[in-house]
Amino acid sequence: MGEVIRVSGLTKRFGQKIAVQDLHLSVRAGSIFGLLGSNGAGKSTTIDCMLGTERADAGEIRILGTDPRANRRSLFQHVGVQFQESAFQSGLKVREICEITHSLYENPIDWQKTVAEFELSDKLKTTISDLSGGERQKLCILLAMMGRPKVIFLDELTTGLDPVARRDIWQTLLRLKQTGVTLFLTSHYMDEVEKLCDEILVIKGGKELIRGTAADVVHRTDSENMDEAFVKLVEEGIR
Amino acid sequence: MKTLRLLYMAEVKLSVREMSSVIFGILLPVGLMGLMGMFADTQLELIRAFAAIATIGLVSTGIMSLPLSLSSYREKKVLKRYKVTPISPTHLLAAHVLHCFSLSTLSMVLVFLVAWLGFGLEIVGSLWLFLGGYVFVMIAIHSIGMLVASVSPREKTTGAISSALFFPMFLLSGATIPLTILPEFMQTLAQIFPLTHGITILTDIATINEFNTVSFLILFVLTGICLMISVKTFKWE
Repeated sequence: MGEVIRVSGLTKRFGQKIAVQDLHLSVRAGSIFGLLGSNGAGKSTTIDCMLGTERADAGEIRILGTDPRANRRSLFQHVGVQFQESAFQSGLKVREICEITHSLYENPIDWQKTVAEFELSDKLKTTISDLSGGERQKLCILLAMMGRPKVIFLDELTTGLDPVARRDIWQTLLRLKQTGVTLFLTSHYMDEVEKLCDEILVIKGGKELIRGTAADVVHRTDSENMDEAFVKLVEEGIR
Repeated sequence: MKTLRLLYMAEVKLSVREMSSVIFGILLPVGLMGLMGMFADTQLELIRAFAAIATIGLVSTGIMSLPLSLSSYREKKVLKRYKVTPISPTHLLAAHVLHCFSLSTLSMVLVFLVAWLGFGLEIVGSLWLFLGGYVFVMIAIHSIGMLVASVSPREKTTGAISSALFFPMFLLSGATIPLTILPEFMQTLAQIFPLTHGITILTDIATINEFNTVSFLILFVLTGICLMISVKTFKWE
């Protein structure tokens, strides 16, 4: 299977502070890749650089074979993004944001059908800020899917959701994966990572700590599960 | 084009839902025109009141709505979100500016209708010249709003700057209280407000069909400076 994302030697500084240092990663088509780390580890900065909303100080980034800063318009026909904050004009209704997002793409999905699949049909006239956390995140996935993307970036999609809503989101993501979409996500929930990710990369202070499958990481850190492995990695620096 | 239309419609709906620009930009000037129309004894007083009140709409959208919305869109990462789509956040910016311009113009037209149908306003100058003057003043005042949106780091700061600009201009440049009833030093002080020059331009067109070159040049230079700094300093996130 082909490579959808490749990052080599990514480095980003903010003044004197190094946010990301010499990061390398590669994501296979149709897989789910998890970028993990504590708050402030550099996950969002990495995503910002990968998407081209931040300029990297060094390194090369290729998404679907193109440089996101050079071919923004054509690339984002095929790349869906959900940021940590939902990033909509407050006061917009579900139908309105769907129609606007739908108009951005050359070959969009039939959003009304997907809204029904996501059980959001009765929320079309609801203001986005009045949705429950789970509903809002489902809407975010739907909007990120709107242009039939080949890759979707999801930054802390399930933070703040209850266990039922989180499992609901997992099912949605696994269904997306079945359709061949590549997912790049960040998360603070290790059960989620074990359940979803084909490959993970743990970073601390912008540098790589460990990479591999979740099972691999658990084994190499001599842990019971990912939760324990993550704490060992991040707190004790075991690798 | 379709996206721009949808974004424009969304901006209109959002402002109706939020109400403050409708209250300050439409209801207040229309009500004030009704009140001042009753107090105006002569046609000249009526024209002066109209030319001044007609600018309330453009000040509310230019100094309040434009910078506040842009700051909020930046802070909520709405602008950033459009950077990771096939369009650019410029579309949202354009949609909001269009919304501001249409709300201002609607406000002016409504104020005109109240003065004309309610009190028999007959402006001396050409209506087209007045409209041209109005568009010029509207762009000038919105360029100040753009400057505020560009240099202010946070939504809260924008709120403070906007209010600090809006209320003095609103009260002391002749838009609500006729300048002629203020003491002389206040009239001199009022010349520092860009809106005072905007009202001077419109009043001169409406009363003597002349274009006030001094006020025009002052606003023209100001607009140029504001837009230049905005283009240089505006940040999408």
